[in-house]
Amino acid sequence: MTASHLLGLLEPRLDPATREWLSRAGASSSGNALDASAFLEAFAMAGRRLGQKPLGTPEDTLAGLGLSLAPDTRTPALLGRVALLLRAQERLEPEGYEALVAACYRSGDNGERQAVLKTLPLLHHPERFLALARDACRTHVQPVFEAIACENPYPAAYFPESAFNQLVLKAVFTGVPLARVVGLERRHNSELARMAADYASERRAAGRDVPTDLTLLSPGASA
Amino acid sequence: MKLFDPHIHMTSRTTDDYQAMAAAGIVAVLEPAFWLGQPRTHVGSFEDYFASLVGWERFRASQFGIRHFCAMALNPKEANDPNLVDWVLALLPRYLGKDGVVAVGEIGFDEVTPSEERCFAEQLELARRFELPVLVHTPHRDKKRGTERTLAMLREHRFPEERVLVDHNTEETLPLVLESGGWAGHSIYPRTKMDEERMVTLVQRHGAERILINSAADWGVSDPLKVPKTVARMRERGVDEETIETIVWRNPVAFFAQSGRLDLTELEKPATIDQRELWEGNSVLRGQTAVVRT
Repeated sequence: MTASHLLGLLEPRLDPATREWLSRAGASSSGNALDASAFLEAFAMAGRRLGQKPLGTPEDTLAGLGLSLAPDTRTPALLGRVALLLRAQERLEPEGYEALVAACYRSGDNGERQAVLKTLPLLHHPERFLALARDACRTHVQPVFEAIACENPYPAAYFPESAFNQLVLKAVFTGVPLARVVGLERRHNSELARMAADYASERRAAGRDVPTDLTLLSPGASA
Repeated sequence: MKLFDPHIHMTSRTTDDYQAMAAAGIVAVLEPAFWLGQPRTHVGSFEDYFASLVGWERFRASQFGIRHFCAMALNPKEANDPNLVDWVLALLPRYLGKDGVVAVGEIGFDEVTPSEERCFAEQLELARRFELPVLVHTPHRDKKRGTERTLAMLREHRFPEERVLVDHNTEETLPLVLESGGWAGHSIYPRTKMDEERMVTLVQRHGAERILINSAADWGVSDPLKVPKTVARMRERGVDEETIETIVWRNPVAFFAQSGRLDLTELEKPATIDQRELWEGNSVLRGQTAVVRT
């Protein structure tokens, strides 16, 4: 997907002043070249400029663009930020672009971080952002964790087995339905089944109920 | 009965908590260095954090009659950030020699990655060099396997087991830790980890030897009064006073006394409070009358 596809979806829903802002967002004041600090400023401002109210964008429209989002995250701010990141990729050398993505994440608030994580699978050579994606799994901020763990093909495509297993177990821990983890069936492995069975055993020893999703990972877990 | 909470992150707690803890009989706390809920990205953030653990926080506790000890370490979660590891490990020797630092911790595993393993190993060596015991965190996910791996690491490094406190135990990990010869901590939490009822059952089954309990209270939903609340539950269910005192006072004192930095005579006396004192010009008071108890 390119930035223009996404902008094409977004622009008709914006007023002319916001459209104009978005078209220039991230460019230096003197010309059209992308300027890193102007970009970071625009990336933050996108929340207020574009709005956080979910759009009624149908699932298949987004899927056509290669983007899968839970309905409550389909906001103009998130779509706009994904578009900004995609547009920046077209304008920067790989090295400068990687630094920009890292900066967007590092100094980003929760909404900015969600947008970065949703963009990762759409980029050229997504594997270069593996460290960032794995780091995101360590967050305690649930919407940020869900941005990488749910409706996102990145982990199944690029995570090594141990990191993928940790992500799946953390999803169960935090009550995320495993149906939202993309590619789970394909990446399922015996170590993950062992971890799920151990977790079920720990819950039983503590006199607690066993999450039903554990049976998806280890058929005997709920017994 | 004097109480010792051997694992609590006071940096994240309020002065109301300090007052309630003192009123409930807590006279000493151990604050292990951990993460702050969101990852730090600069070594300077650790420098200021470590300085606050031996500085402002220690002073703050003293203003409420609570003795504050700490454990210093690079925690397992942040041990995965390659931009931090070397720098924080290099910073630790500057702090491990200080008063009030009675252990290296929390070290151990979160996801059991190679970087966590390296930091764990290097910090065991630091503990040996500074003659400190270690406080070892165990993972929340894949706990039993993570605990087995932890105990194996300690054996591989020939770290003396009597100087190891393995924390956050459950029904399944406690027997493994006791069998290893180490001390076993239990974090009593409102929902996860361990609760009061289960803890009393474990005490009835395993006794008091090398067993500790703590609140592990931090910035999340947690309760800094879980040690006194568990004491109350133990009494209600008929655990004898000797056993209770061993768990909530004698064991933590004996474990951290291995640092050689606990003044046992001083610990037995009631703490003095003088809220007229200042720390770098700052007082804990906001216009209140200073409490003085000498």
